[in-house]
Amino acid sequence: MIGFLQPLALLALVAAAIPALLHLLGRRLPPTVVFPAVKYLTATEREHSRRLRFRNLLLLILRTAVIVCIVLAASRPFVRTGTGVAHPPTAVALVVDNSLSSAAVLEGHRTLDTIIATARQVIARTATGDRLWLVLADGLPLRKTRLEAIEVLDSLEPSNMRLDLGTAARAAARAILEDPLPNGPVVVVSDLQATAFSPGESPATRVLLWAPPARPKNRWLDSVYSQPEIWTPTGSVVAVVGGSSERPVTLRLRAEGMELARALASPGDRVVLSGALRNPGWTVASVELDSDEMRADDIRKIALLRAEPVAVAMATEVGDFLVEAVSVLQQGGRATSGDRVSLGHFAQAGTSVVFPPSDPAMVGALNRTLNMRGVTWEFRDVRQGEWTLSDQSGIADGIEVYRRYGLSGTGDIFADIDGEPWLVRSGNVVLVASRLEPEWTRLPVSAFFVPFVDYLINRIAAEESWIVTASPGDVVELPATARTMDGTQSAPVTAVPGNHRIVAPLHTGVYFLHSASSDTVGALEVFSDVRESQLQVADENQVRTVFGDDARVLESDQLLSSLFSGEGRINVASLFLMLALAAAVGEFLVASSGGRKRTAV
Amino acid sequence: MYDNDFRWFGPNASAILRPIGMTVVPMLDLSGRNNTRFGDSLLPEPQGKRIDLLDPFVVAQLGGIELVARGIVEGFLAGSHKSPFPGFSVEFTEDRPYQPGDELRYLDWKMLARSDRLFVKQFEEETNLRAMLVLDISASMDWSGAEHRLSKLSYAKQLVAAISLVLLRQRDATGLIAFDDEVRSVVRAGARSNHWWTLARVVQEITPGRGTAAEPALRQVTDLLRRRGLVVFVSDLLFDSRLVLRALHFLRHRGHQVIVLHIMDPAELNLEGPPEARFEDPESGTFVTARPRELRAVYEETVHNTIESWRSDCRSGGIHYHHVLTNTPFGQVLRRVAARRSQLA
Repeated sequence: MIGFLQPLALLALVAAAIPALLHLLGRRLPPTVVFPAVKYLTATEREHSRRLRFRNLLLLILRTAVIVCIVLAASRPFVRTGTGVAHPPTAVALVVDNSLSSAAVLEGHRTLDTIIATARQVIARTATGDRLWLVLADGLPLRKTRLEAIEVLDSLEPSNMRLDLGTAARAAARAILEDPLPNGPVVVVSDLQATAFSPGESPATRVLLWAPPARPKNRWLDSVYSQPEIWTPTGSVVAVVGGSSERPVTLRLRAEGMELARALASPGDRVVLSGALRNPGWTVASVELDSDEMRADDIRKIALLRAEPVAVAMATEVGDFLVEAVSVLQQGGRATSGDRVSLGHFAQAGTSVVFPPSDPAMVGALNRTLNMRGVTWEFRDVRQGEWTLSDQSGIADGIEVYRRYGLSGTGDIFADIDGEPWLVRSGNVVLVASRLEPEWTRLPVSAFFVPFVDYLINRIAAEESWIVTASPGDVVELPATARTMDGTQSAPVTAVPGNHRIVAPLHTGVYFLHSASSDTVGALEVFSDVRESQLQVADENQVRTVFGDDARVLESDQLLSSLFSGEGRINVASLFLMLALAAAVGEFLVASSGGRKRTAV
Repeated sequence: MYDNDFRWFGPNASAILRPIGMTVVPMLDLSGRNNTRFGDSLLPEPQGKRIDLLDPFVVAQLGGIELVARGIVEGFLAGSHKSPFPGFSVEFTEDRPYQPGDELRYLDWKMLARSDRLFVKQFEEETNLRAMLVLDISASMDWSGAEHRLSKLSYAKQLVAAISLVLLRQRDATGLIAFDDEVRSVVRAGARSNHWWTLARVVQEITPGRGTAAEPALRQVTDLLRRRGLVVFVSDLLFDSRLVLRALHFLRHRGHQVIVLHIMDPAELNLEGPPEARFEDPESGTFVTARPRELRAVYEETVHNTIESWRSDCRSGGIHYHHVLTNTPFGQVLRRVAARRSQLA
């Protein structure tokens, strides 16, 4: 199929009518010339009229052809070839899916190796003048030369990051659309997991997809968490097994260099692995499944903390609801009687949780005590109304508050009402703006009360066991007390930024969080996205939905042959120029043939 | 008889002729029979130009047809020592009924014996040859392809006048038939001393006619030339050749010598004109729309083939064919015709 790089030039084809118009204009009544030898002229016409008509027609055709060929040549025509071996410089995007799922092994070969082999073939089909945009699991299009792209592929390993193919293809399409070169296709070489297809607007360019012919079955750890978070010294780890196989698999809990528990589980089972930690403090445990074709999701590391329960001392005026809640926590092993954390209206020495007094006249004395302890917060006026609580932990989020004191000062804020602090901390003193009684807030009569008290005592007051989970590359918010985080071998310590938001490391594992005094205040558990473990392949409808109706999943040969179909072009402008020249020469010969002969009489 | 031949030049003859390289010198009667000095005449200077070899258009500007013809002939005959048109002896012309007063010696006694009626023999002056000049005066002849060129008819008239003068100078009886689509003028062949003036006057008065019908004219020649004679057919031959050739062959069959002078303007050899034109036939009014540039080559080929066809057809019938362009000096034409005819004679 022929195309034109400058189609506007085709407007000049109107000029092709010039010879015909001149012919028609020339048909006006010519001047009359008296000529006695009309007899000879008539004989000449009679004998040569057919040849003359043919000659005139030939001249008309040749002259028109000259103009047409020149105009076509000026339009920079090209012929699209099916193979695309020869094609003009084109911007091509290659999405190489090296996400975790590419680590799956099938018939002794990693899926990633098959993907890389196909990607190499795609790169080999590009030309030197092409502009190649390479997109890996991080989803960022990077412009590479062919050589650089091959070098990247040579060292490519499965990433723990999840690659969303829809997002990656759209980013790749944007890259080549912004490229000044003609737009080529977005080539996606991937295992085409169904879970990697996020809906969205279809890419504005042609998308060609390739996937390995077969996928292995997989089992994985769907979720793993400690219960309770603090082992004393016993505890449990709850694991949920995912996968499609119904065959039971062995599940092991390892910590402190030994296997703490073992169980059999089938996909979909929820297994509790119980054990006891020998050493107090934090440790890294792992839950392991029997290995299958995708090893990376058969093990998950978690952080376990062995510690004594928080000793809580309560003043009598804190209210019955809070007393009962602490009693429940003590019965459940989450708290004991002691003086590590005191709950009441006056700040005691050590860690204290301070509630506003029932008598407003006591507020001044309370503020002076707080000030003496160096607390930067103080209670202000009491207010009544009906507000909704906004709790960072999510436990008390949405709970109604009817009465509260205003809190002024600076420090950590854990819950607020319309932006005004409600639950704050300064040093080891925690201030709550409302008493935990039904007249002040609905929280005591809600089902969230005991968890909230547990959170208040163990997390906020005692600053224990902040465990944050994330997938590689996710943006995660760390506890406010965390100042540094374990890093990699090359950078053992990573500083936590002021907004406490970091990008989760790409390597899965446990990263402990440390306070300014180097105490371990929590851990960041990084494990792969479980969606990467679900190897089910997207069907055609899903492909079309995400990539558009023209998107096709192709075999290798089809992919390579259709890679530059439409972009494979042969410049035929020179051909048209040669045709124009040939037509011009032909016109000259035919036109001059009428005057060559001279007869001597 | 030639006393007044050059009265047209008058006292300004030298002024007219000098620019074209001619001078007025005394000359003698070249016929040899009247060597009395009769006035100034045209003769070329030894280093000058002869009038018969000048451009016909220039020559025609010198004066009337009689004067020009004589100048041409005198130039043509200069240096000739024998008759350019050798013929045969003919004296008796016809019988006519006797009328009182006729001399008895001219009675045709044989006719009297056969028919018992009185006839008187009539004699022409003794001539060498009886010749008829057949001139085409059709409309197609009245055309010139250039401004400073004689029309075919003017050229033919000058040529006919000159040929007739040459013939009459050697006392050959000469007649004329002018025709277009019919016979317009007929001058019987005569050899009397003033016959040329009659011919010249008729030629001078000829005006272009309409169409062309040569066959009747040639048939009439048959009637006018009862004995073998000379027929000079002057035409542009723009008509159907079959009938004319048949008539010419018939004349030849009757023992006449036939000379065909094919008069053609040089512009008829090459097709020129605007890029596209309606070429109109002055005789029939028909026209052909053509582009000269496209047809030029094949037109020239057609003309060439036509000329060759005439030449071939005439040669096959013993007819002398001469293709004459209107820019050819008259002397050259006379010389070609005379040489050919002398050769045949």
